[in-house]
Amino acid sequence: MTNHWIDIKNSDVIFIIGSNAAENHPASFRWILDAMQNRGAKLIVVDPRFTKSASMASLYAPLRPGTDLAFLGGIMNYALQKDLIQKEYVVEYTNAAYLVNPAFKFNDGLFSGYDAGKRSYGDRATWTYQVDDKKVPRQDKSLKDPQCVYQLMKKHYSRYTPEMVERVTGCPKETFLKVAEIYTSTHKPNRVATIMYAMGITQHTVGTQNVRALAMLQLLMGNMGVAGGGINALRGESNVQGSTDHALLFHILPGYLPAPDVKSHPTFEAYNNTAPKTEDPMSINWWSHRPKYLVSQLKAFYGDAATKENNFCYDWLPKKSKGVPFIVLFEDMLKGVMKGAFFMGTNPIVGGPNANRNALAMEKLDWLVAADLWETDSSIFWKRPGANPTQIKTEVFLLPAAASMEKEGSVSNSGRWAQWRYKAVNPPGVAKTDLDIMDLLFRELRELYKKEGGKFPDPILKANWNYIEHGEHEASPHLVAKEINGYTWADKKQVKNFVDLKDDGSTACGNWLYSGSYPGKNLMARRGTKDASNKIGMFPEWSWCWPLNRRIIYNRAAVNRKGEPWDDTRWVVKWTGSKWKGDIVDGGPTAGPEAKNPFIMNNEGVGRLFGAGKVLTDGPFTEHYEPMESPTTNLFNSQKVNPASAILNEVAGQFGNAGQYPYIATSYRVVEHWQAGAMTRNLPWLNELVPDMFCEISTSLAAAKGIKNGDRVRIYNARGNIRAYALVTERMQPLMVNGKPVEMIGMIWHFGPGCAATGDACNQLTPSIGDANTMIPEFKAFLADIRKEA
Amino acid sequence: MSGKAFLVDTTKCSGCRACQVSCKQWNNLPGEKTTFFGGPEYTNPAELSAITFNHVKFFPVDRSNPEKPVWTIMHKKCYHCEEANCMRVCPQHAISRVEGWVVIDQSLCIGCGACVNECVYNVPHILDEDVKRYGAEGIIKKDKSYKCHACMENPREVPLCARHCPTGALTYGERAALVKRGLARVKEISAEYPHANLYGLEEFGGLRTLTVLKDRPEKYGLPVGEKAKAIDLAKAEAIRDTYAFLSIFTFGLPSLKRVAYRISKSMVG
Repeated sequence: MTNHWIDIKNSDVIFIIGSNAAENHPASFRWILDAMQNRGAKLIVVDPRFTKSASMASLYAPLRPGTDLAFLGGIMNYALQKDLIQKEYVVEYTNAAYLVNPAFKFNDGLFSGYDAGKRSYGDRATWTYQVDDKKVPRQDKSLKDPQCVYQLMKKHYSRYTPEMVERVTGCPKETFLKVAEIYTSTHKPNRVATIMYAMGITQHTVGTQNVRALAMLQLLMGNMGVAGGGINALRGESNVQGSTDHALLFHILPGYLPAPDVKSHPTFEAYNNTAPKTEDPMSINWWSHRPKYLVSQLKAFYGDAATKENNFCYDWLPKKSKGVPFIVLFEDMLKGVMKGAFFMGTNPIVGGPNANRNALAMEKLDWLVAADLWETDSSIFWKRPGANPTQIKTEVFLLPAAASMEKEGSVSNSGRWAQWRYKAVNPPGVAKTDLDIMDLLFRELRELYKKEGGKFPDPILKANWNYIEHGEHEASPHLVAKEINGYTWADKKQVKNFVDLKDDGSTACGNWLYSGSYPGKNLMARRGTKDASNKIGMFPEWSWCWPLNRRIIYNRAAVNRKGEPWDDTRWVVKWTGSKWKGDIVDGGPTAGPEAKNPFIMNNEGVGRLFGAGKVLTDGPFTEHYEPMESPTTNLFNSQKVNPASAILNEVAGQFGNAGQYPYIATSYRVVEHWQAGAMTRNLPWLNELVPDMFCEISTSLAAAKGIKNGDRVRIYNARGNIRAYALVTERMQPLMVNGKPVEMIGMIWHFGPGCAATGDACNQLTPSIGDANTMIPEFKAFLADIRKEA
Repeated sequence: MSGKAFLVDTTKCSGCRACQVSCKQWNNLPGEKTTFFGGPEYTNPAELSAITFNHVKFFPVDRSNPEKPVWTIMHKKCYHCEEANCMRVCPQHAISRVEGWVVIDQSLCIGCGACVNECVYNVPHILDEDVKRYGAEGIIKKDKSYKCHACMENPREVPLCARHCPTGALTYGERAALVKRGLARVKEISAEYPHANLYGLEEFGGLRTLTVLKDRPEKYGLPVGEKAKAIDLAKAEAIRDTYAFLSIFTFGLPSLKRVAYRISKSMVG
């Protein structure tokens, strides 16, 4: 979230798309209802199903899964054609006025630079700005130049008419127009919309562009950086924000530093040369500090071994020769590339796409270590239905792990608040915390390396690894947190925050983004309930928030160039002429609003309506493409799926078409179960509420298939064939798509063969394809067929 | 009517069922064995029971206005009537008022089913067989009547159901203040829901579980008018007297007690 949970109460319009927040983030509705009751805020819910969130909405709009870009492009067109944008904000704080390289072209769904053979955009050389002789981008602040971003955008989105929105998404034109009208009412400085989204936006072959479309809309409305605004990713687990910040994903090091790549970053110098640069005096370009963060991180990793002379052991960092997201990881596992695996807090034969294939891949492992509260579906994959245990060689070790209330540590919520939790009870039996498991494992491995040598022992032998307090025998989360905050190497003093970090090896810091969380005192443990001077519910003394305890990021955009808030009744920051008041301002406290641009993480310093440079793999503007498996043709262009999404040869034969599998399938969660269900399907109180795998279908599909509420059904496609109970409900309605009614099968994905409440896994049906940028799997739109079970 | 009450606001309920689960947690009640769903949409189990004191009912979606479908989700528990039928007819005086709440004393309860028979809300239930408590030692005894006791048996400042409601759909406080708040809410939503009302002002002399409803009470199976009047005191006494006589022939068997109660009731007419 750019903003945070409580801040939702400051919104005039709450736009929920690709999220069923009432189901998955129930506490958010405390603030949504607060805004509705106290501000008269309107809640818009756009969703394929009439969900619990929809039941609370002022306006519900249906849409076909996988057509968000058509819908959002439609709103952009509506705003641009009717001039419902916050002009001053757009001109000053976005790249709307920037002039684009004249060689940049768009034709029939393809941007310039596409290489069809490689299914990629290669060097993206035309996705750039025109620059002056000082290498500063040229601008036309009147927005009239036909090559300026605003004009290109206006032309690009002119195809997204309300009629096209209706034909593609299935949302009736009148309903779409009402959504557009309510949402764009916030282009006025004294009206603000928040956008709340989740996996319904991201889990598509166009997931990144979906998020971008939301950000672009909020920029057009002037809703970024302000109270009650922002784009707010509702994270799916209590600490998924924290684990992403600390580099859970394959493409980053802690603090969103790029993971070193064999080709782009062979050397320390090459890595640092890729740090974003700017010649624009208005740009703060915060990423220019990246070398300090990398060096401090290397120092934290390798300690005394990391010296200026050896480039702080940069060469010791593993470099990737290819990206290995989940789908590729399991394809590699299936090929026998890896001998063993650790599963910690993951349950891939329920949670991963194409789950049957994941189970086959796991059979190729010599060993599997699972650290879990109890046996999960994945740790007993060798005795899943249909498997022959005598033929599976994998040796499985189950390490009993402590649950969240049995250990101490920080949890970062969606609003970026790192909140320290205490241990409520001791773990049962010999169960250990994940930290302790990793610490014991590391120290044991180090002993083995010491004894036996090995190919490349130095990074292990010389690692800076000391997490046990003197006199204790278990790893301490406080020592980890202190290292994350950072300290001076020579005298081991905690740094105040990341401004103190250096690129000369004098400081060590595990994650620059969290630098400032433990500067001496553990600020994450704070529970102060005093609000800040702006009284907008920031509560800056409650826990600690990255970066620097800034509660609303990009908050320089909350004021005009004179430093006056766009709306004084809910101001975030104010410039007094010499200093800033309110929230911790972005980009340093000395520069005034007229001197520096607000979007400090972009090297232009402004919000990107045009995704210039190499940040995106699939286009500087958003464009509608169909999901990989779709019931219809693409009406916007002759491309079918996102042309930059990787299609792996190994699974190409598994994709189906509407002739074979006529219904759109989608997956989601219910409040009663947690993710892949390993934590909840053993709890009788929750199993009372949702005991079985079920799907949801409309009364019309049920009638056509002779299915009654509560019947057992089979749902199938080329990847799997699962059983479920059918919930026949008015909440599911067929949609008219391109003149034809399209039916949908909605499925929960919490069930699997293990635990007390068992059921087939929805993900046995989901496809092995993902987003062009992140390769997050397309869980939310695929094809299947359904029949009543005999 | 002074004292505490609950306010259920169905316009704020998202059906997370934290109330249903936290009640089980605080009272160490076991989960029920269910299959699929017991009632409309996600309703599970079908109704309140001897081991389910809080229940969330999901009504079918009303699509009479296709532009604005209405999906009502309603928290239900004992209404704690001011003039409570269960209390009036209990032959053992096992049901009494504790700080205003209607509470069953299971040590006095003989499982005759008088309360079950007379409660129009279908709140109290008699347990058929002994069950083990969940998360604590001990058993919950069969042939006794059970229902919500507003956390009077194991007191806490705010009953856990209300404490855990994330949206403010279920709140707890002084009844007078909640009535005021409920009526104000009805006014707020009346443009959107013209038949909105606050249920529980008059029924059975006033209820301690008040409910803000989007539509007329009958739509949600809630009685009004004559159907929501308490059993006549004299009649209740006559039933109790008849039962006292007939119970001699029940040999302490709960099944016969229930028959005896039904006969007593029909004899009094």
